[in-house]
Amino acid sequence: MLRTIKPRNARSKRALEAREPKEVEDARTAIFVRGTHAGEVVQHAMKELMALKKPNAISFSKKNDVRPFEDASSLEFWAQKNDASIFVVGQSTKKRPNGLVMVRTFDARVLDMCEFGVDSFVSMAAFKTPKSTPGHKPMMHFASELFDSHPRYIQLKSLLLDMFNGEVVESVYLSGLEHVISVTVGPLLPNQTTTVGGAGLDDPKQLPKVHVRTYTVKLVSSGTRVPRVELTEMGPRLDLSLRRWQEADPEMWKAAMRRPKMKKQDVEKGLGKRKKNIEVDEMGDMRGRVHVGKQDLGKLQTRKMKGLKSRGGDSDSDVHGGEDDEEEDGPHRKRLRD
Amino acid sequence: MDVSDLLASHSANLPSTTVDKDTPLDVDIGFLTVTDPNPIDQESYTANLEEYLQSTARDGIQALLAALYALPIHPSQDGPLAQLPLPTTPLPRAKHLPVSKQPTKWERFAAAKGIQKVRRERKIWDEEKQAWVARWGRDGKNKEKEGQWIHQVKANAAVDDDPSQQAKTARKARVAKNERQRLQNLALAEEAQATREARTQRHADIDRTLASTRISTGSMGKFDKQLEGDKKMRGVKRKFDPAEASVEQEKQTSLALLSKLEGEAKRTRKDKGDDVLNVRKAIRTVSKGKGGVALGRETAQAGKSKGKRGKR
Repeated sequence: MLRTIKPRNARSKRALEAREPKEVEDARTAIFVRGTHAGEVVQHAMKELMALKKPNAISFSKKNDVRPFEDASSLEFWAQKNDASIFVVGQSTKKRPNGLVMVRTFDARVLDMCEFGVDSFVSMAAFKTPKSTPGHKPMMHFASELFDSHPRYIQLKSLLLDMFNGEVVESVYLSGLEHVISVTVGPLLPNQTTTVGGAGLDDPKQLPKVHVRTYTVKLVSSGTRVPRVELTEMGPRLDLSLRRWQEADPEMWKAAMRRPKMKKQDVEKGLGKRKKNIEVDEMGDMRGRVHVGKQDLGKLQTRKMKGLKSRGGDSDSDVHGGEDDEEEDGPHRKRLRD
Repeated sequence: MDVSDLLASHSANLPSTTVDKDTPLDVDIGFLTVTDPNPIDQESYTANLEEYLQSTARDGIQALLAALYALPIHPSQDGPLAQLPLPTTPLPRAKHLPVSKQPTKWERFAAAKGIQKVRRERKIWDEEKQAWVARWGRDGKNKEKEGQWIHQVKANAAVDDDPSQQAKTARKARVAKNERQRLQNLALAEEAQATREARTQRHADIDRTLASTRISTGSMGKFDKQLEGDKKMRGVKRKFDPAEASVEQEKQTSLALLSKLEGEAKRTRKDKGDDVLNVRKAIRTVSKGKGGVALGRETAQAGKSKGKRGKR
């Protein structure tokens, strides 16, 4: 554990405040960790993935003895020290050649992990095409029915989306949309079904491959308001196979998925749960309608006078009962006349 | 002149922007993400992988752009700016939600009275010096009176009257008061936090007690009258440890189990005696089940009678 630091001057105080939890979070910082034996392919792949993630990326290019699935304590330490919440660890062993492990953290503790094997990798330099500007927000494309149904691919989509596009932004320059990261899952084997725990989908070796491609976007006028899109491959090109994984602890996941309370503005925009009888008028004031039950005017206390007092012979309840009946009858009669 | 033919021929030349898919694409415009739930076309996938991937990506991005251009777009200096809605895909947070700070006594008062917070500038204008001086701190305006070499004194002032000392004490008192209030606010915030925690704990305790009373009847709650608004009882969901665990973890659990079995403190019967002789059992056998006290009495009586006999 890191010691808790008490800021001694305004600058360090600001720096610490920037690290405090926020309601709307900044983009996640990713640390690319080189393992003890990474190998050329994995090192290049990490370098180019980092190029896509910049400027929110840190490279740990020295050899690091980390095994995320066995002991993630170093990752947790780095997460706290660097204010980072995503790790990409590259490690190549005889048993698991060209391995990339993606680790996501919550409050500097490991949330979930997924290991890939890099089956093939083509560098950005191999494509003699225009590249995107570093730091621009990518558009993302996921193609497979498994992204909605299979836990491994749901996690994969969540991880990749969180890594490259997880920041919530209010607005975007249309001219700044330069590149696309496309993730496609290969076809299922003939005996496989898409349902969870379906035939053959539990064995990691039979899971279909994942193709990650990066394209630059070119817009061509189409005569309509929406231009036609043309894509040119930019690189890197990665073919990944899924290996080990670690699901998130349910309680930790629940804590990580907590949303802040909706603000008044958002409710006005109609976001969140729709509330009955609440509307926003033209002045921007929120107005609510409250329904009050029918009032019993018979029990209304008016001015007390001697003449209106109930006499001893009649009981109070009788008098009131009579009045109530009359009131209830009133509107009915009117309606009948109409 | 009829230009419809010309227009039709022109539009036929232009590339199309429509995307036809069996299942409509799922666009999350807040994250600029599109998900294509259509199954992979096996034939074109195997025939030409790269071309197939590029064409599906193009279709997806075309759908995404159509959604983007339908958003409110404002012109700006650096080109058109599209206003994005909030994303629909739920993603986990990187850090926990911020805990709201307990407002101080002044903040509560100001909120009740509708007093707006005004930022105090650090420097204020000094009319005499015709310069900006610090409000507090070194050569601060609040210490002006203390350093003054001449003071205006009332005619009936005491002999030992020291205006600069008075100003200093007053300033020190203000600082001390502020510090006291700060500590008070801290203590109040802590207290409020403790109360909140105690309340949640109490709620949990009450729930647990209620649950135990509901199953504490003869029929274990089965034939009891249901109260209106009573929720159905939920049992504890069983959780199992994973079948595969690291060696270290397995060792720890085994050792914990062993430590429960072993040890003098864990024994249920303390009076068992040593390992060779079970004293309790031995006494029972010798006294023929009458117990240790009866056995003692018997042996004592036997000794007495022997002595009497000898005297005769």
